[in-house]
Amino acid sequence: MSDESSARQLATDARDRVRFEEEALDLSDQVYGVARRLVGSREEAEDLVQETYARAFRSWRSFQPGTNLRAWLFRILTNLNIDRGRKVQRSPDLQPLEESDYFLYNKLEESSSDGTPDERRVVERLSQNDAVTALADLPHDFRDVVLLVDLADFTYSDAAQILDIPIGTVMSRLHRGRRMLKGSLAASATEDP
Amino acid sequence: MSGFAFDPCDKCEQMMQPYLDRYLTDAEIQEAELHLDGCEYCRKRYRFEVEFRTFVRHAVAEPMSPELKAKLRALRTPL
Repeated sequence: MSDESSARQLATDARDRVRFEEEALDLSDQVYGVARRLVGSREEAEDLVQETYARAFRSWRSFQPGTNLRAWLFRILTNLNIDRGRKVQRSPDLQPLEESDYFLYNKLEESSSDGTPDERRVVERLSQNDAVTALADLPHDFRDVVLLVDLADFTYSDAAQILDIPIGTVMSRLHRGRRMLKGSLAASATEDP
Repeated sequence: MSGFAFDPCDKCEQMMQPYLDRYLTDAEIQEAELHLDGCEYCRKRYRFEVEFRTFVRHAVAEPMSPELKAKLRALRTPL
């Protein structure tokens, strides 16, 4: 390779890398948002996001331009989170979920003083802290899927690729995770005076 | 809500999450929408689900600190 063409190659490389890094950084708010709910504290989330970007920038050549950068980044994030040896989980509560999908609404409506209220008013009875706690209390396998689909807006098939699980497993964990979330919100919203 | 074996509201309830996730076939979407158009009971619950998703998303959101943002920028490869 002539000096000129190798210089040109280097310049192209540098330009591609800069573009890659900038595009990845543009997604950092989303990455942090999910990371924050994957782990228990802000500090851990910040470490996890820094590790994610350090690894992403190191292995930028393994990203295929034109494919889904967001999914690629989130795959690094979720893998690193698993590698960090997340806390040993109490075995997921596998008792059958009797509650239907409409359970939370029915419960809130039933305990409402003004009969059949407006749906927006019903949601207002839920507390932000309860939602954070309910999400944190989900078994991690369920939480991972709920976070990717409900927070990061990934499709079922992207979530399946990111977590390396079949799409049917995504659907069942998502379904179950959401019901668990609703179940604990229903409990906390209706037990308060 | 009737006690028939194939209660359309039960069916609608089962379709609600994939419907909201836009993970149904066109025919299923049509079926769900046809039912929702005519059923106030399910429509209320549909609207609640939409509100609920927005609520959860906002409730658990926590912005990243400017310090972390700066640290991430510092991880870029120096030119």
